[in-house]
Amino acid sequence: MKVTFNLNGGPQYLDVEPGEPLLWLLRQLGMKSVKEGCATGDCGACTVLVDGRAVRSCLMLAPQIQGKKVLTLEGLGTVDDPHPLQKAFLDSGAVQCGFCTPGMVLVAYELLLGNDNPTRDEVAEAISGNLCRCTGYVKIVDAVLLAAQWKREGRWR
Amino acid sequence: MHRTGIRRFHLARDVEEALSLLSAYGGGGALLAGGVDLLRGPPGQVEGMIDITGIGLSQVGEARGGLAVGATTTLTEILKNPAASAYVGGILCEVLRQVAVPPLRNMATLGGALVSAHPWGDIPTSLVALGAEVRWRGEREGKAPAEELYRGEFRGLFRSAVATEILFPPWNGAFAYEKIGRARYDIALLNSCCGVGIRDGVVAWARVAVGARPDRGERLPWAEQALVGQKPRESLWGEIQDLVQGQVEVGDDRRAGAVWRRHTAGVLVRRALIRAAEKAGR
Ligand SMILES: Cc1cc2nc3c(=O)[nH]c(=O)nc-3n(C[C@H](O)[C@H](O)[C@H](O)COP(=O)(O)OP(=O)(O)OC[C@H]3O[C@@H](n4cnc5c(N)ncnc54)[C@H](O)[C@@H]3O)c2cc1C
Ligand code: FES
Ligand code: FES
Repeated sequence: MKVTFNLNGGPQYLDVEPGEPLLWLLRQLGMKSVKEGCATGDCGACTVLVDGRAVRSCLMLAPQIQGKKVLTLEGLGTVDDPHPLQKAFLDSGAVQCGFCTPGMVLVAYELLLGNDNPTRDEVAEAISGNLCRCTGYVKIVDAVLLAAQWKREGRWR
Repeated sequence: MHRTGIRRFHLARDVEEALSLLSAYGGGGALLAGGVDLLRGPPGQVEGMIDITGIGLSQVGEARGGLAVGATTTLTEILKNPAASAYVGGILCEVLRQVAVPPLRNMATLGGALVSAHPWGDIPTSLVALGAEVRWRGEREGKAPAEELYRGEFRGLFRSAVATEILFPPWNGAFAYEKIGRARYDIALLNSCCGVGIRDGVVAWARVAVGARPDRGERLPWAEQALVGQKPRESLWGEIQDLVQGQVEVGDDRRAGAVWRRHTAGVLVRRALIRAAEKAGR
């Protein structure tokens, strides 16, 4: 079936299978930041933003994004030109193997869109559904607070 | 066909279309709301997915002094709604903040949680405690308290009907919700939603519900009766804790044992009652 949606700012007009998970579609489109950890909604590695809200792409079907805007990490920044939030993760030592990082960055991005001065508890709540098996959570929370500070200082895009 | 086994996807435009698609598939169709439960299920169960998020059932508003929530409203939309935040001192939002995690709350709907009705769920226990009424459209329109639905064959009903709205009545008093899980992110090992109204210094009405026993949340009418007419005081909460620990029906499952559940049910009810009475007395 035909689906039209916006991926990272660009229009997409595709033929998808009715039962295709959004996660698989995005990976086929080269969005390798979107990971399959559990495929049951538990880990958060497959997080993307749909119309500005973080969702689990493993629990969505491709046709559900008809007419919507999808943002993956690829749409936020690149290796050469990272988004300030990505840079805050690097500067804070909040990345080890990196498997959880795209999901962490995107839930943090959703939080900071609506709140540029979150408390530690609010950050912890925002990332509570994203599991990290190697960094631990302290540095990730530090990174999000650093990014929030940069946002308040106008160092954001 | 994909690994999920789903052959067709329909974006229903209204309730009538959703119902006619459901009936055309016989048992092979399913209504898709947030998909948090449905798409987690084993593959091959559903042939035709009928997306109902665009059929006009996503709204929250005051109704008859209480609150009306459209069945496809997401938990996040409810949490952000001022009428929902104000409903009986914010009890609904107190519960929803403890359901899963933000990205899942962005997807999951109140109607989906009502119909999935996980025995460990936070929402079924609260619907029962708050006296929520469910409206649906199938062959005919229908309505019933969630408590009554859960006592009957509600799963059969929602195979050929769309839950449209959940109505929360007004309460002159306050509620509190208590949940115990292994971690903040986890589902409940036990939960309790309790409410009291205080008039002329005594308890005028009480609602006590306990869920994840491991069975679905139910009211404990004998505990409610024991509260009515009593002066709210420290010793009363202790007596109710003892009563619950003596009479509540609990069981074992792989997540917790009956002995722990029996003891903890009393503790959760006492904690919820103390907080509810404090709020009601303000
Ligand atoms: C990782 C994880 C953690 C969770 N943690 C919690 C938790 O802490 N507490 C808790 O209470 N729950 C928890 N849940 C469960 C989840 O929040 C609910 O069951 C969810 O709200 C289901 O809603 P949905 O809209 O996604 O339903 P769907 O998956 O879309 O549907 C569920 C069922 O209801 C039917 N249905 C949906 N809408 C309607 C309607 N309007 N009329 C008739 N039938 C309908 C569907 O056909 C399907 O059978 C968790 C789930 C996951 C995956
Ligand atoms: S892969 Fe989607 S939550 Fe784990
Ligand atoms: S950095 Fe390895 S899982 Fe988080």
